[in-house]
Amino acid sequence: MKRWNMRWLFIGLLVSVGVTAGVASPDLTFMSTQMRPITEAEWARTELLPPFTEETGIRVVFLGAEEPELTNRILAEYQAGKGSLDLVGDLHGNFLVYHTALKDLSAELSLLEGLGDRTLAKTFVELGRIDGAQAYIPWMQATYVLVANKKALAYMPGRMATEGLTYDVLLEWAKNVYQATGEKRLGIPAGPRALLHRFLHGYLYPSFTGAQAKKFNSPEAVAMWQYLKELWEYVNPAAPTLDSMDTALLSEEVWIAWDHTARVKTAILERPDDFVVLPAPAGPKGRGVITVLVGLAIPNTSPDPAGAYLLIEYLTRPSTQVTILQGVGFFPVVAEAAGAVPTGGLKVLADGVAVQSAAPDLLVSIIPGGFGARSGEFNKVYLDAFTEIVLRGRPIEDVLARQGALLETLFRETGAPTPVPDVYLP
Amino acid sequence: MTFPRLQRRILLYMAVVVIALWVLVPLVLIALAAFTPRLELYRWPKTIIPSAFSSATMSFFLRSYGTVSSLRNSVLVALLTLGMTLVVGAPAGYAVARYVFRGREAFRLGILMTRMFPTSLLAIPLIVTFIRWELYDTLIGVAFMHTAMALPFAVLITSGIFSGVPKELEEAAMTLGCSRLGAFVRVALPLALPGLAAAAMFTFVISWNEVFAAAILTVHNRTLPAQVLTSLEVAPLDFRFAGGFFMIIPAVIFMALARRYLFQMWGGAIAER
Amino acid sequence: MNRTQVTRWLVSEKVLPYWLILPTLAYVAAFFLVPLAQALLLAFRTEGGQWTMRFFVRMVEDVRFFDALKFTLILVAIVVPLQLVTALSIALLVNTRFRGSRSFLYICAIPLGISDLAAGLIWFSLFTQHGYVNSFLYTLGLIDKPIYFLSTQNLGWVVGSIVLAEHWRATAIVLVILVAGLQMISRDYLEAAEVFGARPWQKLWHVTLPLLKPSLQSALIIRTILALQMFAVAVALGGRLVPVLAGEAYYWYYLYRNANVASAYALFLMVISLLLAWGYLRFLRPREVRS
Repeated sequence: MKRWNMRWLFIGLLVSVGVTAGVASPDLTFMSTQMRPITEAEWARTELLPPFTEETGIRVVFLGAEEPELTNRILAEYQAGKGSLDLVGDLHGNFLVYHTALKDLSAELSLLEGLGDRTLAKTFVELGRIDGAQAYIPWMQATYVLVANKKALAYMPGRMATEGLTYDVLLEWAKNVYQATGEKRLGIPAGPRALLHRFLHGYLYPSFTGAQAKKFNSPEAVAMWQYLKELWEYVNPAAPTLDSMDTALLSEEVWIAWDHTARVKTAILERPDDFVVLPAPAGPKGRGVITVLVGLAIPNTSPDPAGAYLLIEYLTRPSTQVTILQGVGFFPVVAEAAGAVPTGGLKVLADGVAVQSAAPDLLVSIIPGGFGARSGEFNKVYLDAFTEIVLRGRPIEDVLARQGALLETLFRETGAPTPVPDVYLP
Repeated sequence: MTFPRLQRRILLYMAVVVIALWVLVPLVLIALAAFTPRLELYRWPKTIIPSAFSSATMSFFLRSYGTVSSLRNSVLVALLTLGMTLVVGAPAGYAVARYVFRGREAFRLGILMTRMFPTSLLAIPLIVTFIRWELYDTLIGVAFMHTAMALPFAVLITSGIFSGVPKELEEAAMTLGCSRLGAFVRVALPLALPGLAAAAMFTFVISWNEVFAAAILTVHNRTLPAQVLTSLEVAPLDFRFAGGFFMIIPAVIFMALARRYLFQMWGGAIAER
Repeated sequence: MNRTQVTRWLVSEKVLPYWLILPTLAYVAAFFLVPLAQALLLAFRTEGGQWTMRFFVRMVEDVRFFDALKFTLILVAIVVPLQLVTALSIALLVNTRFRGSRSFLYICAIPLGISDLAAGLIWFSLFTQHGYVNSFLYTLGLIDKPIYFLSTQNLGWVVGSIVLAEHWRATAIVLVILVAGLQMISRDYLEAAEVFGARPWQKLWHVTLPLLKPSLQSALIIRTILALQMFAVAVALGGRLVPVLAGEAYYWYYLYRNANVASAYALFLMVISLLLAWGYLRFLRPREVRS
């Protein structure tokens, strides 16, 4: 009997601790979908933010979150009229979903610009203006590149074409590697959390049709899907289970890979001498690439918007922007930091990106917006077309007609504007 | 007669060894991988036994933000859940086992229905509710949610347990002067205790492994799975192994602690051997 | 009715069960009823409040719907019976109380504490192209090139590896319930059967299994419901190749951000679960103790 009493006492004690326990709320809570990997999050906590705390005395808790989690949290906190997040770091595309829950930062923007020490890239600031309000302040940028193991370079058709790489060369290259090694070593991430849809609407489509969405169902698009089917013959067959390419690059399951810079970075940092970073290939209509923009926003429900502004000011300083590039390889958005080049493994990455952005045939896309809560459905159209055509071998024309109709409905029902570069088409 | 008996023994132990290996081999692999030098993890072909022992990843992981405090949070939440679930759910399990009442089947299916709907689709309404009830970002709030998730199963398991306790014994106790409650406490409860321990264990485990509610309903006070698993999905391989291994250790320890109750189910019989 | 009568009625055996289930009902209602009802309404109602079936139409017309349905049913139909048989075998093995049975039961119960995400991680690292299984086979000289277990080429392998991982991870849950149930069976019955000269098989079939019915029923219902909800393991190993219904519901809610179609999926899943659970309750009805 005594033992039982002790046990209950113990449990009771735990319960009371449990009810009262809890971390005291910090001065500022900063949640971000970027710098989420454990090493980067730790870097943010130990390198990036301490100088800010020293300077202002404001303690910051940096929390990584998955994109859907952050989105739902902000929408729900907004609905409840009470929140816990002070500052949010997220992708342009996600802000489009929950921009109504964000504070208009127009005043903060002019304060920042009034400081005179930083010039935020004009196009990015424009992108941050959603429905007439400054939903976010540009923070950093990234893109998608091609990474190759140096072993693969021997099989590249012709001489190494850093600026001249085309989709035809890529196909030839992957084929050569397969014939020489017996393994399909081209890597395109196609797992459920992969960024395959960006490859489709931002890389292949513009390169082949000159537009992301406008020519979804067109003869050029049919040729493009035909090409992708051919290319897929040499893509590692495990691709539909891979969400990012760094692990596959390191284990040499793939030798040539396309992915987001943040998702190949680990491989390059780990073995900087073994990899080269190449610009994305070009197609008949140009070299389609996407610019990924990361912004900072203050939720309407922020407990401390003034503190959050101070943190924005710190994070957009040219010196901080260089620190971020050196630390985690995200590129600056202020002109004053634009020339900075990192050292070590990140230099390999930065050099590749520099070559890409200097390419004369560049066709830059921004992730289409204006679908509001339905942006996910835009991605789904491309992904479903991929599943049907490439994985299941359905007739291209039928699939494009069906998915194209869905895409049109989406644009019509949401009134989304024609994206860049589609607007430049006649 | 002795030969077939020996044969039977051999067969039995072979089966035991095969099953035990089936459970253990993946665990051993992840343990080894967690302490393998980083670059060796990417080598082909991989060697099962690493060439050197490295605790670099593991110690970085342990020192990183929130790992240790989330472990404490997990234990607290799981214990709270366990207590609340048994207090609320066991009476219902008893009622379903003992009484034939109108609406019994509807009750059984009805509460199970709450588990047939993917909880993750309730994210936004749940956060809103928890903010309004001032339960957002608290451990007790997570425990409340976990209790709601474990209750249907706890009721089902406890009703199975109580229906195994002969009603005649309770009736006998009542004719001997026990009250209804007294008969339950003195006769049915002790007999059902081992089974209730199984239900408790099940509840604890549900809470321990739950990621979605714990992640969505907390900001600073995270449980271990919410803290670790979300940061591992995008992490390099070495961290995934370190994190995966770290998640398993508490489970193994917990099972070792719960083992006593697990084996109480067998009476003292095994211990006597 | 005077006051004492009311009081007496309130604590009578007739009303007592309702008192006993009240806390559970109230609790579940408080936490689930409103959000659940809202979510279910979403499947039938547009934002503007119109009633419609078009979300169900969208669901059925979806490219992945039939695959998801197919794989969900296949996985449940393979995994659940397999787990039941394994768990029952382990429980009966332990029941022979051989030397070391304690440690054996402990080992078998360890996966209880391992979450589906962690299990997915472990098994993925086993089956990747340069993973442990391939390394092992290669080192032994059994293969000269890695096998693509998880790829478009081998959907059978993918499903098989998901089955293995689920079996490894979740059999312990069934085991614990069955072990508890076996313990409740009085030795008297088995001894009585022995007196009448029953063989081990006969004892199992005519004594143990019928008496184990309540536990078997609980275990089956719980496992089936959870298996229908399973998707972390399927995603980890199957990626885009093996869609399941729970996964589609999740993607529609989180990635495509269409709560209406997500709710349609969830409702569909609920109906399947309900039918199966009702079937178990109906056809595995244990004998009433009070009869």
